[in-house]
Amino acid sequence: MAYLGMDSSNIQPTEEFPEDAPLRAQVEKLLHAGLRSEVEPRAYDPEMQQSVLARLQHVLAEEVAKRVEIAGFTLHPYAAEGIEEACETCMYFLSHRQFCALPELQLPVKPDWSCRLWRI
Amino acid sequence: MANMLWLQGGACSGNTMSFLNAEEPSACDLVTDFGINVLWQPSLGMDMGENVQKLLRDCVSGAIPLDIFVFEGTVVNAPNGTGTWNRFAGRPMKDWVKELTAAAQFVVALGDCATWGGIPATAPNPSDSKGLQFLKKQHGGFLGANFKSKAGLPVINIPGCPAHPDWVTQVLVAVATGRAGELELDDLQRPKTFFKSFTQTGCTRNMHFAYKVSATEFGQRKGCLFYDLGCRGPMTHSPCNRILWNRQSSKTRAGMPCLGCTEPEFPFFDLAPGSVFKTQTMMGVPKELPEGVDKSAYIKLTAAAKSASPAWAEKDIFVI
Repeated sequence: MAYLGMDSSNIQPTEEFPEDAPLRAQVEKLLHAGLRSEVEPRAYDPEMQQSVLARLQHVLAEEVAKRVEIAGFTLHPYAAEGIEEACETCMYFLSHRQFCALPELQLPVKPDWSCRLWRI
Repeated sequence: MANMLWLQGGACSGNTMSFLNAEEPSACDLVTDFGINVLWQPSLGMDMGENVQKLLRDCVSGAIPLDIFVFEGTVVNAPNGTGTWNRFAGRPMKDWVKELTAAAQFVVALGDCATWGGIPATAPNPSDSKGLQFLKKQHGGFLGANFKSKAGLPVINIPGCPAHPDWVTQVLVAVATGRAGELELDDLQRPKTFFKSFTQTGCTRNMHFAYKVSATEFGQRKGCLFYDLGCRGPMTHSPCNRILWNRQSSKTRAGMPCLGCTEPEFPFFDLAPGSVFKTQTMMGVPKELPEGVDKSAYIKLTAAAKSASPAWAEKDIFVI
């Protein structure tokens, strides 16, 4: 996916974490199958961020669909005011592992996905 | 020989504790090597009661020449402008401060409280506290914007919560040895030698800043603390990563976000819930960006940096 002229699609997920690929595929399948995630309202203000994070903190690690739903994941970047809120530019995104390191999520993702906790 | 008098207003004594830990030079070196005569200091002064009152009166009258007046803590004005919530040596401290600053060759405000008001002056400021020549960012403070000491300098501000011990002793040496003229002050009256660079200057996490790899939890050895944990290193003027604390480390090296304590707005956002140790954002973009960087450039830089980041930047790595 190209973003502002940058292309991170050439970075392949590291094989150091073999558990990532099946989990990433599971998330992708869930969203393709029509899982309705809470894309909006976006967590732009501290109260909303805290509210979303607090809900995530009560979800068990194995409840993947629930985490994806609460975080508001999409398989494409959400855009607002000319800014594409793609995982690949998010502070929590590890480019080489292709992983969301937000403690409350800890999910393998793809660069052109998006969620409402995006921050740059 | 330079006579130094040091008083405390609305303070926690943190700057005195810091001063007593100075190493280059030490508090003892000031006396033995640099000719500073400590007339009185809250933790070092031997005189009590009437004797302190007489000493202060003699400093005000000029019977004892007062070369350096160091003030730590806020000037407390409550209640109703009387200052009687902070009495010292028989009268409100603010009255002593007014007279002693007029008598001194040089006036040094030490620590955030004395420079800008610090935590005591945070809204709603119940003690009606002010810094000597600033109230937060507003020039003026207790002495007024036009104040100059007898030597012709405004108050020399050494902020910090507390100030690093060596900033204090090195400034005192400069003043005591006749090199005060070399103390170039910035707009906030801080010596540029110490306060021109940023806290980020010398931070061992700078590579993570450059590659936009964020620390997401305290205690992580990798990751920059600016992106998520509220570190103010890129916007704060201090040499905390050049002149290390205890000669060993700094907040950011140890994984603690910089709180911006050398800036007049400290504590930021009036300590509103959720504002400490959390980067404040607007639509996902930090409200305050590194000094001199605009939002559009920041977004472009982030995209480029993340795309270019090497794999090692995402791994656990020693940063101290």
